[in-house]
Amino acid sequence: MNYPKKVEWSRLDNASKYFAATYSERDEKVFRISCELFEEVDPEILQQALDETIERFPYYKSVLRRGIFWYYLEDSDIRPLVEKEDKPVCAPIYRKYERNLLFRVLYYNKRISLEVFHALSDGTGALRFMMTLVYHYLTIKHKDEFSGKIPELNYNASIGEKKDDSFERYYQGRRFKKQAREKKEKKPFKRVYRIRGTRIEENRIKIIEGTMSAKAVLNEAHKYNTTMTVFLSALLLRSIYMDMPARKKDYSLVLIVPINLRQFYKSETASNFFSTMSIEYKFTEEGMELDKIIASLNESFKKELTEERLSEKINWQMSIEKNPFARIMPLPLKNLFIRIADEVVESRTTACISNLGKIQMPPEFERYIRQFSVVPNVRRPQIAVCTYGEKMAVAFGSPFKETEIQKNFFKSLSEMGIKIEIVSNM
Amino acid sequence: MTYCNYCKVYIRDKKTKCPLCQNVLPDNGNVEEAEDIYPVIPLAYERHILIRILAFISVVAIVISYVVYKIFPTSVNWPGFVLLGLVSAWLSLVYILRKRHNITKTIMWQVIIVSGLVVFWDWKIGWRGWSLDYAVPILCVAALLVMYITAKVMRLSARDYISYFLLGGLFGIVPVLFILFDIVKVDYPSLVSVAASIIFLAAIIIFQGDSIKEELRKRMHI
Repeated sequence: MNYPKKVEWSRLDNASKYFAATYSERDEKVFRISCELFEEVDPEILQQALDETIERFPYYKSVLRRGIFWYYLEDSDIRPLVEKEDKPVCAPIYRKYERNLLFRVLYYNKRISLEVFHALSDGTGALRFMMTLVYHYLTIKHKDEFSGKIPELNYNASIGEKKDDSFERYYQGRRFKKQAREKKEKKPFKRVYRIRGTRIEENRIKIIEGTMSAKAVLNEAHKYNTTMTVFLSALLLRSIYMDMPARKKDYSLVLIVPINLRQFYKSETASNFFSTMSIEYKFTEEGMELDKIIASLNESFKKELTEERLSEKINWQMSIEKNPFARIMPLPLKNLFIRIADEVVESRTTACISNLGKIQMPPEFERYIRQFSVVPNVRRPQIAVCTYGEKMAVAFGSPFKETEIQKNFFKSLSEMGIKIEIVSNM
Repeated sequence: MTYCNYCKVYIRDKKTKCPLCQNVLPDNGNVEEAEDIYPVIPLAYERHILIRILAFISVVAIVISYVVYKIFPTSVNWPGFVLLGLVSAWLSLVYILRKRHNITKTIMWQVIIVSGLVVFWDWKIGWRGWSLDYAVPILCVAALLVMYITAKVMRLSARDYISYFLLGGLFGIVPVLFILFDIVKVDYPSLVSVAASIIFLAAIIIFQGDSIKEELRKRMHI
């Protein structure tokens, strides 16, 4: 027998634990980041770039395995290979009995796409991997044109920082749990509207991606004295309201908005580090006009995005994981409880919007990259936004065949005089 | 790019209908030039066709055997065996398919399932004791051998097989109970199984003790 090589392994971070427990056929917890170039993608060079990138993100070579009490990530020596896109968008990645990498790199014509199982990383983390991949691709492909003056990518984290469990780092301990609980005010029960529709065959998702000028949208947002995320959230809420059946008009709408915690806490992790906030709005009480929606959302965003609220959130999330009873519960039982809790939260969720913000690449790349876009993991209608240079891509993902809400949403933007280019996968 | 007059948006890729409002887009000759951004993926209906055929044949076989039995009765209830045989085969097959990505695990599960089945069959056809005398001990020894060979041939790393080797070895010791409680008429197969398992266990603990410890630490972390 050969002497066994010691295999590195690591615990899952807080959010990864949730994703590993709750993925299902209907929501595979897979999201995608695409980069569209002005030229056809060369698979061989993409493979070289991927080989370079994976060296810088060894953490992405992990496979997910099941222990008795928790899942864990184990290093593997699988070499990731680029594939020509031939599966539905965000096709399943993690399979219980298989040992595969938790991401895939695809190419199709001018697009490079990275699909990631959410237990490996969140949008911002995966975006760093993607940016590094595109960086290597372009510097290999256009080596001659840069003639010795290779542009620099402004993401320089150590390998340790990239796989940092930042939840663990900023968790303040169990004594904060009590405080968080005491402060939690009892909310009166409200009926929450949920979007219904006909599911697409094979649980596929419908992506409608609109690309528009970031400046034009921001100008509109500034007219209401607000930010891009709030502005788009307000439009989304109004689009959903327009589609609601009359008998449900007095239900509340609840929007889930992920918060990238790296903006508030120092962290360079390429793993998960985010929390969420839920924003509530009731049309029959607060009004139908855009300025009223925006005023209410502005208020809610401001209340949720304080340092105090965020650290409460982290402490709350972590205290569940650190509960001694939860820890010694066998994994299948644990998964069951997490799924039940998740269903309860889901039953009080209308839609979700996440904004990955502005993507910064070296300015020399501007003539090669047309745009970036992000497809969220879709359980219900959900929007993901990202901006590269002048172009903002809004991807509307939905598990339903109906497109009324999408139509309302994009039409309300186009009626403001914004030019929108639509791309769809079906 | 085509333009949807209703939604006031431009459609970049090849579409005859607007993805938003489903209205037919005006054909201004641009459709052919439109870009191809998302591939069209056909639905995968063909999957599992073999399994479906096998399932269908199983049902037909059971129905026909009962009909034949009703028309030409015999003293032995043979359609019952057909049914049991098929159930056994399916049970085995389902587990092989589910765990096919982990060979040592598959072998371990097969030993447990098949052991259960042989004891059940033995009991069903009037307990002559052959299942415990021969079948179970031979299965255990065979499993150890097959596991060892696959691990070597497929060059599995220690962490992939170590826990199943451990389980296999422990399972192989179970026949010691048959001897102790005097359930078996023929001792030798059980004896061989127990001896082989102890030697096997000793070997992995002595040579791969660190791997076992490491593997347990990983799997049991709280």
